[in-house]
Amino acid sequence: MSAGLTRQALRKQPWSFAGPFVTQCLAAALVSGALGASSSMSGARLDPSARQVLTESSIPEMATLFVVVSVYLTALIVGLTMTSSIARQARDIALVRALGATPGRVRRAVATQAAVVAVPASVLGVPLGALLAHAWLAGLTGHQVIPPGVTFHPSAAALPAATGITVGASLVGALIAALRPARVRPAAALTETAVPRRRIGLVRTAIGLVLMAGGVALSIRIAGGDPAKAGESSFFTMLAMCVGAGFLGPVLLRLAAPLTRLFGGTGALAADNLAVRAKALSGALVPLVLAIAFAMVKVVTHTTSVHVRGVAEPAARVWTEYSGTVVYVAFAAVAAVNTLVTVLLARRRELAVTRLVGASRMRALAVVVCEALLVTVTALAVSTVVAMVTMLPMLHGMLGTWTPYLPTGQLAGGLAVVIGLVLVGTVVPALVAMRRPAVESLAVDS
Amino acid sequence: MDNVVELDAVTRTYGSRRRPVVALGGISLAVPAGTFVAVMGATGSGKSTLLQCAAGLDRPTSGRVRLVGRDVTRLREGALTRLRRDRVGFVFQSYNLLSELTVRQNVLLPRRLGGPRPRPLDEVLAEVGLSGLAGRSVGELSGGQRQRVAIARALAGRPAVVFADEPTGALDPTTGEQVLRLLRGGVDRSGVTVVMVTHDPLAAAWSDRLILLRGGEVVADVPTPDPASIAQRLRATTGDPVVAR
Repeated sequence: MSAGLTRQALRKQPWSFAGPFVTQCLAAALVSGALGASSSMSGARLDPSARQVLTESSIPEMATLFVVVSVYLTALIVGLTMTSSIARQARDIALVRALGATPGRVRRAVATQAAVVAVPASVLGVPLGALLAHAWLAGLTGHQVIPPGVTFHPSAAALPAATGITVGASLVGALIAALRPARVRPAAALTETAVPRRRIGLVRTAIGLVLMAGGVALSIRIAGGDPAKAGESSFFTMLAMCVGAGFLGPVLLRLAAPLTRLFGGTGALAADNLAVRAKALSGALVPLVLAIAFAMVKVVTHTTSVHVRGVAEPAARVWTEYSGTVVYVAFAAVAAVNTLVTVLLARRRELAVTRLVGASRMRALAVVVCEALLVTVTALAVSTVVAMVTMLPMLHGMLGTWTPYLPTGQLAGGLAVVIGLVLVGTVVPALVAMRRPAVESLAVDS
Repeated sequence: MDNVVELDAVTRTYGSRRRPVVALGGISLAVPAGTFVAVMGATGSGKSTLLQCAAGLDRPTSGRVRLVGRDVTRLREGALTRLRRDRVGFVFQSYNLLSELTVRQNVLLPRRLGGPRPRPLDEVLAEVGLSGLAGRSVGELSGGQRQRVAIARALAGRPAVVFADEPTGALDPTTGEQVLRLLRGGVDRSGVTVVMVTHDPLAAAWSDRLILLRGGEVVADVPTPDPASIAQRLRATTGDPVVAR
């Protein structure tokens, strides 16, 4: 039976698994790449003086930090994307429960799906990681940051580690999503899944607040502690707050929803939709906030330092600082777009109904754009808070200033990229979903 | 004769403890094997809740439900699931099939979940008039065909009882009649018990026994009369002003 439910799920919503597949592939690449780069450095055959140059460059430390960051980041995001894919099957799960599938059997079916996606994704991702690590090391030697003797050697641990983390996170994410539909009474599930639950969980909000507060507390501690260790700890500050933002997502989106009323009737429709979909969209909020906050911290730290000190940093140093961040930001951004696409494609039916009751294609699209903008605004606001909490104590410790600095051009560029990403994740799939006549879309899914 | 379904002072309330919404207010009834029961009532009268509690899809707030001789209110989720799988069939208004799977895969789903060996697939499909469609994806079928797949699924495993929730609600009268004929045939030929919720007097007329609900209570429990009398009784219980005059 596991096979039957798995096949149904994969056929019915190929896109909702394509998203996690791509994310997991990149996750495996990230983990194996970081491991490969780190082990290539420690295993490189260097004469003592070159070895000393390498150690003093502090790049090996940075590579170790990359390993830590990539493990946590991928586990979080892989789990999250898988959760949203499985959550969409709640109705089918309720149905097979009514027909006689025990909760244990449903969990097994869901675990099979998670593995079916994760194993090939990891196998594909590991060589990609090798390419990444190779390119990074080549860049570092090219900029003469590290001695030329350091070349890429594949790490034996890369495949098992990347596979283990990806498959593990995928399984955990899927099982968490299946927890509720597998356990509840089928009657409740069959009716409940037709209407997503609107209520915001108190526990959920409380966890979100605790994580946010934890992030702030951690940041205050970092400010008073050893600046050398700030890098690693500030990552955890950010992670805690981003996950917290995910938990608070429904509340935050609903707080922001009234903004769309500025756009009249279209905006009101968008606000209503958001209230219903707040939970699903929160899944996209975490990677989005992570991507923006990561980029913001790195870029603003750099520009503020240049601004305060009045001297440009050497190009090699800038390249080193940015190269790692670019990879993480790209990964989180891809995950965010994937989640947005998944959420939108789940609404094919709803979009069709909207059009049947009289919305033109343009009008339906306008509602989607309106929602996308609201998600963007929320993500930007939250990530600015997260970035500031992470960064301000560091800036103060390093440069003695509390005011971050970002040139207008870069700010505008960043905003454009974020808005572009969200639109790609919503408008493109909406156009695809609305390509066919509304009546046809309705007939397929019933 | 043994009772296949027995409800004893069953209540079901929803909502918070402070503001409970009573869906069932203490219902007792027994359905002997091999009977076709129609449950009617206005929207919100509790008929779907009654069906879900009787079928073990939902648990009552108080009271006891016996299904095929087992007290489902005391069964753990796993045992209850197996009982449903082995002895109970379901037909819903919205078909509730897995749309990406074929007719064969849907009909054999309970078996693949570990249920009893079903009757030969060809025989079952011929019975519901779907011969030759076993390999078709359910998504390609018409509404009437889908509902017949659901009936084939419900009847294939030789269940003791089939619960049907508005099985003809989404179908035209002719197609609906085919579906009802199939349910009736299950009762007459195989001795299956059918409990069907409906708001259509013409559909209810196929049953042996009519139960009318109002506000979560049984207001009538009679041998099924002709459609016109059913409609009249229904209007009387739902308090339709046309009748009140």
